Amino acid sequence: MQFVVNIMVLAAIYALIACGYVLIYRVSRVLNLAHGELMMLGAYLLVATASAFAASPLMAVVFAAVMSLAVGGMVYLFLMRRMTGETVLAAVLTTVALGILIRGLIVLFWSAQQQHPRAMLGWDNPVIVLPGDARISLYSGLLIVATVLVYGGLFLFLRFGRWGIRMRAAGQNPLLAAQRGINLHAVFALAWGLSTFTGAIAGMLIALDSGLDSTMTMIGLKAFPAALVGGLDSLVGALIGALIIAGAEVGVIRFIDPLLADVVPFIVLIVMLVIRPWGLFGTREELDRV
Amino acid sequence: MMKKWIAVLGLATAGFAVSSANAQESVKIGLTGALTGPVAGTYAPAVEGLRLYIDKVNAAGGVDGKPIELLIQDDGAEPSKAAANAKRFLTQDDVAMMINSSLSSTYAPTIAEAKRNGVPLLFAASVCPAEVFPPADPNLFCTTAFGAKYDSRAALSFIEDKSGADVKLGLHAMAIPVSRGEIDFAEELGKEMGMTPVSKEITPPPTPDYTPFATNINNADAEWVWSWAPWVAQIKTFEALRRLGWEGDYLAYAHLEAEGELERVKDPEFFVVGANALFSEGLPVMADITSAAEGSSYPANQMTEGWIAGMVIEAALKAASDPTSAESVREAMSNISVDMQGLRGGPLEWTADNHFRTQQNYRVYRWNPDSGSIETVQDWTPFDVQ
Repeated sequence: MQFVVNIMVLAAIYALIACGYVLIYRVSRVLNLAHGELMMLGAYLLVATASAFAASPLMAVVFAAVMSLAVGGMVYLFLMRRMTGETVLAAVLTTVALGILIRGLIVLFWSAQQQHPRAMLGWDNPVIVLPGDARISLYSGLLIVATVLVYGGLFLFLRFGRWGIRMRAAGQNPLLAAQRGINLHAVFALAWGLSTFTGAIAGMLIALDSGLDSTMTMIGLKAFPAALVGGLDSLVGALIGALIIAGAEVGVIRFIDPLLADVVPFIVLIVMLVIRPWGLFGTREELDRV
Repeated sequence: MMKKWIAVLGLATAGFAVSSANAQESVKIGLTGALTGPVAGTYAPAVEGLRLYIDKVNAAGGVDGKPIELLIQDDGAEPSKAAANAKRFLTQDDVAMMINSSLSSTYAPTIAEAKRNGVPLLFAASVCPAEVFPPADPNLFCTTAFGAKYDSRAALSFIEDKSGADVKLGLHAMAIPVSRGEIDFAEELGKEMGMTPVSKEITPPPTPDYTPFATNINNADAEWVWSWAPWVAQIKTFEALRRLGWEGDYLAYAHLEAEGELERVKDPEFFVVGANALFSEGLPVMADITSAAEGSSYPANQMTEGWIAGMVIEAALKAASDPTSAESVREAMSNISVDMQGLRGGPLEWTADNHFRTQQNYRVYRWNPDSGSIETVQDWTPFDVQ
């Protein structure tokens, strides 16, 4: 049972992060290689708000999440918007530069030492005992709950929400969408905001569970295979991809050799790229565009 | 017009001469360190401690009236950047000593550059390379507290003292060569001592969740776990074990984060073994560090490594016949004994063929819930460095 719980927690982490890659890619075709850094920034924003709202911990979390949404939107408005009309490669390289900038700024503002936002907020992390004597910490459990809520919310938003439908339209045919009066810049800014928001939720919950340090950015990169395996333009794919990668990783740790944990996501990715390069739920046409 | 140009030329020449004279009057030391990037938390506080110590020396008049100019360059733990930094120090800045405070992957280029230019290279806060142990490379020196193989000897001796040799031993390392090598050594040593290694977990540097690794240790019924890895990996593995309900004893290396973390975790079965004294000792030198660290981004108790490096550098420069000459500084470093003022279990001594230290002392600490403070579980235990 603990084995299943371990897979679920890791899959939740990867899925929450991977949906950020997918949201931006399916709307604007840009691969955001600063997603790990933006996720980490969200967690550091919690450190900042935890100091400012010491008396109201919940307010600190809400404020940090809202700030993350705003940061994502601003990244588009002040940086990525200027890449309109440039090649996709130029936009991707811009995100690499953005990641380097964020890493530097984080060290400048918060130093390089480990932070413990949970202790700053005065919260505990009790262990929940599940059937089969499996155990899960409160924040690991919340990671699973958050993943369900985020994916459920995104499904409803994209299916029925006015802006969600606009996002899908912009992703499918930006020219036609623009001709129909959809404000593409607003849609792209929203996609960047939501992507950063979901990444920040993952970052904040990981930080609340086990602390925060600058290695978090590498965790963002580890979720990338999940998005690719599922299909870079499919949210369902990201979810399934996260489950596959997490299952393979935890299985290797448990039954083969923990040393392989680092490489197994990329082995799965290579296998998928050989068999089905556009991913499990991705579309072939999208790959051609890339 | 001609006179005006001659005057300008004269002023420029004079300025150059003054700047050259200033350059000659200061002792230049170049430091390449991982001040940003994923591992910065391990090195940046130590570099800050070193900088503060050098400031203190300069405020007291420098060495033989010459100020020490500490040139710090960030390499982000990237070998290419470290190589560029080393080149710059040696070709442009003409340093008398170079310091590496970064990941072991940066060692090869900095060692090669230092050797080519005949400038001594000091490893401070970064893991001591094999070349500083006897028989030492004449150009390489190390002040860092932890020492491969000696740490595991001290750790397993402590476990044996506490629980006897008949224990089920869990081992934990990070998937980097130096950490894995040490834990492989500990596994063999444990077997020789009669212990039973039941689980050896190697965690990758970016691990979102340590629970799957901890599950293996828990399932193996390990009674003790010895972890020798960067602090983040050590503490996260321990906390994952506790969340799984594991009730054994955990021994980790006392990296610079140890003191704050013992206070945070407050677990009496969580031990740290290390060669630096913790600030709970309340030594006078610790008050000096605390005073110097006021307003810094890092807590004083994370600066011991850098402070010690500063003490050794000051002593070496004072002992050198010409502190601006790399050759003279290297000669002084090859035969030196520095009083650690209680920060370590004895003086730091380098000889012609031992640039690590002649004796390595270890203390073990833990959190005492009764007194609500950190306590010394085992006092300084010496190990001769052969």
